[in-house]
Amino acid sequence: MQALEYFLIPWLDLKLLFLVAAGTFAGVYVGAIPGLSVTMAVSILIGFTFTWDVYPALCLMVGIFMGGVYGGSRTAILLNIPGAPSAIATAMDGYPLAQKGLAGEAIGLSTVMSFVGGLIGIVVLAIAAPTVSEFALVFQPRDYMLLAVLGILLVGSLSGESLVKGIFAGSVGLLIGTVGLDPLTAEERFTFGFTGLWGGISFIAVMIGMFGVSEALMQLHHVDKAAVKQKISRIVPNWSSIRRYLPLSLQTSSIGVLIGALPGTGGDIAALMAYDHAKRVTRDPEVPFGQGAKEGLVAPETANNAAVGGAFIPMLTLGIPGDAVTAIMIGALYIHGLNPGPMLMIEQPQMFWFITGALVLANIFMLIFGLTGIRIFTKIVEMPRAVLIPLILLLSIVGAYAVNNSISDVYWMLGFGVLGYFMKSYGYQLGPVILGVILSRLLDENWRRAIISEQDSIAGLFKGMLTSPLSLVLLAAVVLIFVSQTPLWRGVRGKLGLESKP
Amino acid sequence: MHGNHIRSAGELVFNAALFVISLVLLWASYGISGFSSLSSPGALPMAVAFVMAVSSGLILLDCWRKAERDRTRFLRDILPPAVIVMMLFITGYALLLVPLGFLPVSLIFLVLSILYLRRGGVVFAVSVSLLALILVYIVFRLVFTVLMPAGIVPEAEFLAAIGQIFGGGQ
Repeated sequence: MQALEYFLIPWLDLKLLFLVAAGTFAGVYVGAIPGLSVTMAVSILIGFTFTWDVYPALCLMVGIFMGGVYGGSRTAILLNIPGAPSAIATAMDGYPLAQKGLAGEAIGLSTVMSFVGGLIGIVVLAIAAPTVSEFALVFQPRDYMLLAVLGILLVGSLSGESLVKGIFAGSVGLLIGTVGLDPLTAEERFTFGFTGLWGGISFIAVMIGMFGVSEALMQLHHVDKAAVKQKISRIVPNWSSIRRYLPLSLQTSSIGVLIGALPGTGGDIAALMAYDHAKRVTRDPEVPFGQGAKEGLVAPETANNAAVGGAFIPMLTLGIPGDAVTAIMIGALYIHGLNPGPMLMIEQPQMFWFITGALVLANIFMLIFGLTGIRIFTKIVEMPRAVLIPLILLLSIVGAYAVNNSISDVYWMLGFGVLGYFMKSYGYQLGPVILGVILSRLLDENWRRAIISEQDSIAGLFKGMLTSPLSLVLLAAVVLIFVSQTPLWRGVRGKLGLESKP
Repeated sequence: MHGNHIRSAGELVFNAALFVISLVLLWASYGISGFSSLSSPGALPMAVAFVMAVSSGLILLDCWRKAERDRTRFLRDILPPAVIVMMLFITGYALLLVPLGFLPVSLIFLVLSILYLRRGGVVFAVSVSLLALILVYIVFRLVFTVLMPAGIVPEAEFLAAIGQIFGGGQ
């Protein structure tokens, strides 16, 4: 009963209700404008909501997250440009539908199905998270250590062109996280004699630099590209077509939740796997896949929104982020004094139920904003990049400055922006960097706890790992990722279309 | 690293720089606590820097072996003038933010960059920048209550005056 009370907090407080609505609204548009991403929006926003209470800040961020995952589908359908990585699969059949003049119908159907998927994800989160966090209490420090390594490796191997570059990017993040005075012994690490570095490098500066500035600089390559105009007719879908695709959407939602819940895999992978699943189970589609099959639209859209709920499971119960966006959400929770992990559910159950409540609310708002306001939408998406890019840069600077009112954070942010720009240009992924920064402290603490409890003996640590079933599974998973870079696995990746990802 | 056997302009230099930086960081991490113990403050940094050095070394080696250069040109495809100019603009913005204050610097930045990116249209640039700045100011300064450097603009007095108009002169 108490859970329900916490769950309803964002529903009953008008201010919080408004913030979830505003966040979702902003998320839909941010996700839809090519060049803006949810990751960028949430990282810039952390800077601004830094001084807020935790409830309002969470409402805004949950809304943006939910809306942003959905928003990416809009431009995927209308312009064949996925607004977010999780909408890549949506474009495969969504854009052909738009070319046939069925853009309105495609948007309507994808909105309703995103809602269905989102809801299923949240229900699974509400049921699974308390169990997982109870289970997580038996986790040893070495298990957390392995989980952190696993998360970085997964993000590095699944999202980039090569595992080595992913590992390098993850290590850069881990190293950035260790700069400053050691939390246990106050010894200086990588400070090079500057007292200004004692407090470490603000991870918000790193985030905004990598996802705000570097993305904006990347966009400068396409500054002259004009937006394409599209006419949109009816948008609310028929009940009959919703009923028709509901069974498929339930299957793909479960895929979405599962993939989302794995550390290191998020909505983009979930959507591609769901698309593949739909292709296999649909015997005779009305229209072939790739030419505007509605099944090919329903599957990724349900899966990527279901993955949001799924991704919150490891994030809230273990403190392990699933991808760059959840890594930034964890950063936001840290800033507001919360410590995601199994103790969060025990010490602050209200926080968990509050977030669940806000997620459901954001999902409802997503449905409302998705089915309305299409006219404003087309106007906003046509906003010229020559105006958009300077604005992103401006907001990035303001956001980085706002956290500590410190100009040196702005310089760090710019430095990481330029580094991120070159890394992106040469095929390095930035997701693992952020994951590394966030997981650095967790990895450092748990490594030291694990090795101290074994009296500094590596052999003892390995013996512990090999004799505990849980550690063994995690260790096997870490090893498997290295093996997964063999040609056999590459064939599977090619089949899923992961190789062609931009 | 698979499939793609062509390297872009500047890739080799960038990868080499990352490798050298990794080595420097490895040396710096050794300086934290050396090989004193596995649970020392320097243990993880050293392990991580080692992984960085090895992985960047592998990347560099792979890049070195790619004999063929693709047709990208550094100043056209990797770092085109627009990117350099905008990098300079934001650096200038960051440098002038504290001495001049948020409002004037932001306005100058927006007008200049919109002018540059659109190549012309002063009226458009100025009006869009003003509009955007007013929106940003209302949302972030007044709603999010972010404190920005006031610089040469008497912002506090200005806000107080507005407050007096609406707040009945208290």
